[in-house]
This record gives sequence, structure tokens and C-alpha cells, in this order.
Amino acid sequence: MTETSRLPLSSSIRGKLISAGYTSLSSISSVSSTDLARDVNITEAEAFDILKLVNQISGSNGSSSLINGAKNAWDMLHEEESLPRITTSCSDLDSILGGGISCRDVTEIGGVPGIGKTQIGIQLSVNVQIPRECGGLGGKAIYIDTEGSFMVERALQIAEACVEDMEEYTGYMHKHFKANQVQMKPNDILENIFYFRVCSYTEQIALVNHLDKFISENKDVKVVIVDSITFHFRQDFDDLAQRTRVLSEMALKFMKLAKKFSLAVVLLNQVTTKYTEGSFQLALALGDSWSHSCTNRVILYWNGDERYAYIDKSPSLPSASASYTITSRGLRNSSSSSKRVKMM
Amino acid sequence: MKPQNLGRQSPTSRKLTTGCEIIDGCLRGGFPCNSLTEIVAESGCGKTQLCLQLSLCAQLPISHGGLDGSALYLHSEFPFPFRRLHQLSRSFHQSNPSIYANHNDNPCDHVFVQNVNSVDHLFDIMPRIDAFVGNTKNRFPLKLIVLDSVAALFRSEFDNTPSDLRKRASLFFKISGKLKQLANNFDLAVVITNQVTDLVESSDGLSGLRIGNLRYLYSSGRRVVPALGLAWANCVNSRFFISRSNETICKENDESGRSSVSIRAQRRLEIVFSPHLPGSSCEFKITPEGICEV
Repeated sequence: MTETSRLPLSSSIRGKLISAGYTSLSSISSVSSTDLARDVNITEAEAFDILKLVNQISGSNGSSSLINGAKNAWDMLHEEESLPRITTSCSDLDSILGGGISCRDVTEIGGVPGIGKTQIGIQLSVNVQIPRECGGLGGKAIYIDTEGSFMVERALQIAEACVEDMEEYTGYMHKHFKANQVQMKPNDILENIFYFRVCSYTEQIALVNHLDKFISENKDVKVVIVDSITFHFRQDFDDLAQRTRVLSEMALKFMKLAKKFSLAVVLLNQVTTKYTEGSFQLALALGDSWSHSCTNRVILYWNGDERYAYIDKSPSLPSASASYTITSRGLRNSSSSSKRVKMM
Repeated sequence: MKPQNLGRQSPTSRKLTTGCEIIDGCLRGGFPCNSLTEIVAESGCGKTQLCLQLSLCAQLPISHGGLDGSALYLHSEFPFPFRRLHQLSRSFHQSNPSIYANHNDNPCDHVFVQNVNSVDHLFDIMPRIDAFVGNTKNRFPLKLIVLDSVAALFRSEFDNTPSDLRKRASLFFKISGKLKQLANNFDLAVVITNQVTDLVESSDGLSGLRIGNLRYLYSSGRRVVPALGLAWANCVNSRFFISRSNETICKENDESGRSSVSIRAQRRLEIVFSPHLPGSSCEFKITPEGICEV
């Protein structure tokens, strides 16, 4: 990405500048508008505008935006492509997610009891810690447990399997170099999960409000998991409008956290039955208004004897489903030989 | 608001032994503390037997898989099996005399039985339960709460209309939330029993919805589903299913050369879902001394 390519100009003019060799701002500002126009094959008026723009930008400390805080689409695409993603340890699931759970987004994952929501939550809180040398983020996790489903022994089991896999990976990669790197131990992985247990919706709201401060003090947190977002909100709200308000505010806070700290927010949700079009259907809990609160939505379901994940909503990913299994080592690809990833 | 340090606490949650080695093996130690575990079964399968046994095992020292604690048995079905509790208690006392020798009491003294006849009644007695759990003057602090059964509380009070079902669902979450809060604050094991209903495939098609490791639940040769539906299933941390089936055993009678056929009731415990256990199952039987392996 050259400096010129980040200028807010039309792509044809930008293309002409670059192919003429004007790849940096200083190269442009060093010529007169007449020379520039002749060199690049544009009109003098256009060249004059370009020079004015370049001088303006160079004058304001090299910031490449006219309006403070605004970005052009090139910048955003560049950022998005270089965004790290957290692997789920199931490559089929990763591929329908575009590589894994994306940071700076709020992803909702919902399904019936026993389908593996908590397992995915624990797997992500371990996988976020995979060091950069092994292709991970080297970050920490916040796990907000509202249901009491988090079991330390299960997290330890998954952490141990992750350490073994990493040892195998680094052993393979560094075959010809020194074998023993400084490795993470399973207990270190447990210590890097900031575990909060909340027992009521007021505790949940208070904790979410506190997260900004907590994460500012722990900048290496790269994933926040809430298991589940729903539990405390399915009782006692006589005023449904109030519930919707509280939930929307919470969703907004999560989105802001995701963007501000470039971390992934994963909200696990339950399913409920909804009476639509004359019959009962399965739907994610918390109602229709909540469905607008997340960037991405993944639904977990049973298909025969296999567990499947389906991308229900995403701004950039196509609808697709993939199967996964839950093993003693955590989430993995399912072993069935039939086509595991289906595009819709 | 400070997070818990997972690395510094015990690597496993505390478990309450069931008193039966084979079931303990299946459950990797027993019923977990700080968790709500549901036992689903049709009548006569052994849920109450298992709960009575757990209430006694709670008094075992922690080194033996117990919780060094007493049990609160909330029962909504009548009558409460006092005679069976005494029978099990005598047998338990004989096997564990050292616990009671110095205090001259017996196991029954530490199982507190309270009847609950409706949901409102349950919420009415909650403050008393709160006070009871926090009471440190008892020889054994409360460490186990049994609710036998949750289904009976909701049996007759709600119609099948959407609004009643919604009200019922919100009560499920209220009960579950309250019990989970107690479990968390005092590290209690909470065991809740539930009944089954026969599966009648209705037009909405959701009664046969798969929840957990087993596609179908069978007991006594019929397909069944746990009572109280999907909403309640979201309220428990683990669900175990006990089923009964009749097994025909053919025995060869050596002397006369004739074979005899006997029918044995087989009881099986299966893990429907649990956050720390893979799907597995085991067989057990019920004897005068309690639940034990086959």
C-alpha cells in the first residue's frame, strides 16, 4: 500500500499517479502542477487540486483523512483484511466464518441445550491465547458465566490439548532449529481467562458497564465471551419494553468495546419456540429487536446425529453450514467423510 | 468487581459421590457442586432412591467423596418415603459408624425434609431456605438441596395457552436462577428430578426436538420426552436420564436340562448433556441397601 493509494481521489487518477511513478506524497509535492499534469496526463485543474490536497495532508501531520476520524474504503478494506481472527479449532467451522471469529465484531452463537455453546466458549477463551508465532493472537480472555456451566476441569482438559497441539506444531516448524521453546503451560492458560460469575441481571449490567475500565487496564484481552447473554433476562420482566431497552443498551456497549479495543465479543444465546405462521418454530431467545444487536449470527443445530453450525446473519460471509464435533480435546472437525461444508 | 483466578483454585469442582462406584465412574466423581443437575425418569425408575442415597452420602467426609454436610429434601410428591429413608439410613450408619460415634446421632438427623405443594409455596419458603443455608450452628452445614420433583409443582396450574406457557417459563428461570445463586454462594450441589411424558407427535412437531446426546429417550419400551419442555431444559446445567427396560435372561438348568426364562428389570443411567462429561451410560440396580452396580 503506497501513500498515494490512500489519497481520497478517484481510482482512475490514483491509478495514473501510481503508474507514472508518483507513489509517495513527497514525490507529488516536489513538482509543479503543470509538470504533474503533463507527466500523468490529467488536466492542469486536476493537478492543481491534487497538489492542494497533498499539501493540506502533509501539513496536518500526515493524516490521510480530510475529516477527522473518517476513513476511506481502501483504509477500511486494508484494516479488515489484516484483522486477526480467533480459530475455533475446527477448520470447517473456521472456513465458513471466514477464518475464525473476527475481532471488532459482536458474534452471537445460539442453539439448544447440549449442542456445544459452552464448549465453543471455552475453546475460544483458550485459543485466543495461542501465541503469534503459532498463528494466534497471543491475547487473554474474559469469560462472563451467567449460568454456572463453566467447569474448570473441562477448561483444563481443553487447555492441555491446546498445549500439546502447539508443541507438535512448533516441533514441526522448528524441526531443524532448537526444539524447546518457552511453552505455555495449561495452568498459565487458565490464569489468562478472567472469569466472572454473575447471578442476576443487575450484576450482569453492572459488570458490562465496568468492562471498559477493566479492559483499559488489561489491554491484552482479545475476546469477551458471555455464557449466556440470555439467562437472567428470561425471568421477572413484566415490562417487556424495559427489557428491550436494557438489552439494546447492553448490545451497544458490547459493540463499542469491540471497536474500541479491537476485540471479539461472543454472545452465547438460548433457543426458544416462537409461534409464527400458524406453527411453532425454533428461534433464538430475546426477541426480534435483539436480533439487530449483533453483527454476526451463528446457529448451532442437530442434523441427524451430527452437530452443525449455520451462518444465519453476516455482513460479509455467505450463508453456509458446517459440521463439528466435541471431543475430549475440545471442538474439532467431524470425522464423517461426506461433504462437511455446505454452501447455501 | 474482580475476576476469579482459575489457576489458583482446585482443578476440579467438588463432587458428591452417589454411593455407587459404577455411577460415580460414569459421572467422573459424582454430582457436581455449584451446579444444577437434573435427573429425568419415569416413575419407578429410581430417581427418588438416588436422591435419598445422595442425601445420606452428603454426610460423608470430603475424603470419601461426601460434602461433610447435611441435605435439604424438598418434595412435591406424596407421600415422602420416610420408611425407605430410615432403612437406607440404618444401612448407612452401619457402614459408617465413625461419623456418628462421637455425637450419638444418626444419618436421618441430617436430612431435612420439607414438602412443597406449589410454585408459590416454593417462593414463600425461599427466605427460610436462605437463612437455613447460611446457618453455621448446625453440626453439618447444608451442602445439598434436592427438589423432587419440579414437574409436580407445575402439573395442574398452567393451561396450554401461549401466555400461560410464557408465565410458566419465566417461573422456571426464576427458580433456576435462585437455586443457582444459592449453589454459587455456598458451593451447594443442587439435584432436581423431573418426570417424563409419552411422546405424542403433534402437528407442531417440536415435542420430538432433539436435546442432547440421545436422539430418542426410551423407557419401559416407550418413547418419552422430559416434562416441562425446551424452556426448562435451558435452566439446568446437566441432565441425566434414568430408564427402565425389561431384559429377558435365559438360564440353562443343568440338572434337568431344561432352560428357564426370567425377566429382570434393567435400570440404566445416561448422560443427556453436561458441560464436563462426554455422553455415556451405565447400568445399576436397586437393593435394600440402596443403589449399586449390577
